Amino acid sequence: METLLQVLFNGLSVGAVYALFALGYTLVFSVLGVINFAHGAIFTLGAYFTYLLIGGAVGANGLLAGLQLPFALPFWLALPLAGVAAAALALMVERIAFRPLRDRGSDPLLALITSLGAGVILVNLIQLLVGAESYSIPVGTLGSLPAALSIAGAKVRSVQVILLAIAGLLLAALSLWIDGSRSGKALQAVSEDPITAQLLGINSTRMIQIAFGISGFLAGMTGGLVGLSVSIAGPYFGIGYGLKGLGVLVLGGLGSVPGAVLGGLIIGLAEACVPADLSGYKDAVSFGLLFLVLLIRPQGLLGRPQSSKV
Amino acid sequence: MDAGLLEQMLLGALLGLSVYLPLRCGQLSLATPGFFAIGGTVAALLSTREPALAGSGSTYPITSVLLEMAIAAMLTGVLAMGLGRVVLRLRGIYLAIATIALVEILRVVTLNLEFTGGALGIFGIPQPFDSAAGYASFTLALLALICWLCDRLEKTRPGRAMAAIRDDDLAAASQGINTADTKLLAFVLSALVAGITGVVAAHFFNSWNAKLGNFDASITTLAFVVFGGSRTWLGPVFGGLLLTALPELLRPVGDLRLIVFGVVILVGPLFFPQGVVTPELLKTLKRRIRLPPTPTAQGGKP
Repeated sequence: METLLQVLFNGLSVGAVYALFALGYTLVFSVLGVINFAHGAIFTLGAYFTYLLIGGAVGANGLLAGLQLPFALPFWLALPLAGVAAAALALMVERIAFRPLRDRGSDPLLALITSLGAGVILVNLIQLLVGAESYSIPVGTLGSLPAALSIAGAKVRSVQVILLAIAGLLLAALSLWIDGSRSGKALQAVSEDPITAQLLGINSTRMIQIAFGISGFLAGMTGGLVGLSVSIAGPYFGIGYGLKGLGVLVLGGLGSVPGAVLGGLIIGLAEACVPADLSGYKDAVSFGLLFLVLLIRPQGLLGRPQSSKV
Repeated sequence: MDAGLLEQMLLGALLGLSVYLPLRCGQLSLATPGFFAIGGTVAALLSTREPALAGSGSTYPITSVLLEMAIAAMLTGVLAMGLGRVVLRLRGIYLAIATIALVEILRVVTLNLEFTGGALGIFGIPQPFDSAAGYASFTLALLALICWLCDRLEKTRPGRAMAAIRDDDLAAASQGINTADTKLLAFVLSALVAGITGVVAAHFFNSWNAKLGNFDASITTLAFVVFGGSRTWLGPVFGGLLLTALPELLRPVGDLRLIVFGVVILVGPLFFPQGVVTPELLKTLKRRIRLPPTPTAQGGKP
């Protein structure tokens, strides 16, 4: 029998993943006004990086078959390192899929396609290198932690507690940075108006890179966490999360950081409330919710309405 | 060339046209795979469950296929009219994501319903043609018809209104164009093309399941249009034909083929920001082969 608390916990931990995912989209969207379709692939790579860094061996089906790093890092170290590797990758994606278009002043819509191309390349590169099989991060990674904790009578997987704690930490750090630091304020200025920001002495290109770097870092960490809590279900496993993250992003309001968090938690909780015998309809529930919100509040829950002029 | 591949390319071109129609008036709708899936499901259900359509010959009668098309067109058309009224109030990326949500809801529902065969789908859809070549010629005729209609559309009042809305929504409205109705028209036409294409695809694939209309399909069909060009109907046709064929043509490079495909859609927009086929390119080509440019390309009818 699932208690209310358990449902709440499941919902929150799934919701936290969606929120982190959506925040990665949000950062890029707020500075460039486009969605980075390679985000899901970067998330996936973060999961694989984590797996490799904790000393996992590559299966038999890729070019790198049997590869194993000569060292095995503890999960606490492997996760942020995977985040950093993912951030580097996100910067590369920015360099090849976004900047050339910006330099030429092309239609921003094209970045949807170029970033999709980058995503296709990354996903298939993973498949080529490490094969299509699923990998799981062993439970022993977490040291002597018990598999489940008992909180107020409810059994909660300790993985979920860790996931929630790290997600909370990342979200807090991110909002502190955006609202409290000079570079965070500069990012807000660029998202308001890149040209004016440039005139005021802010290096817009640099801020765009920072947005991509942080978004990649978040995606990499989230990938590692999901890999730990569920498993890495093959090179395509980021796509489902990517799609959900997109829904969360719009539900909360494009470009709004609190909106992304709220949207993630709402969709996570809504999915957790779907009874087990209707679980097939889980995805329909979240997208149905998104659809309804769009119709009532087209700018999303916490988004600002756009005004248009000729 | 392999007729099966040709048939797939032609279906790709039709889907490209379906994404192109709303994009022509600036509406980024990714609902095409959803309407495609509805068309396919209608064909699969009717042809496997309705004995009256089966006819007496050894192959499934073409008239039944045409009837399925009419039913699919009616269904998708009515649905698009209802949904369009609601979703077309959204703009830009919001519209894109709302339509992705629609496609996903539809996919999940099809996946879970009993009568659509669940995750396995519907098998043994009867064949109206003995060979892939038969399908290819039928689809080629269909594509030619729809291209001709698109060409007519581009040169008539509603088509011009679409182009005006694409350039500037508010300015078009201030010139007396009913923007809501014009957008709805484009959306419904897009749904019709996708639904009809779904009927042909269901027979050609011989089986039908929920996977055929998913998010990947939304994005791939969008790539057809952006790569081919969205300012004339030739663009999506070119993009659909080429990008459907590409992964198959690249089979010799084996595992690398999808990577090469990714490189093509990554690099394509950098070199062809307007898409490969643009009205300017067509004009240049016409001049090269010494044909006088058609007057309608410049001024148009009063």
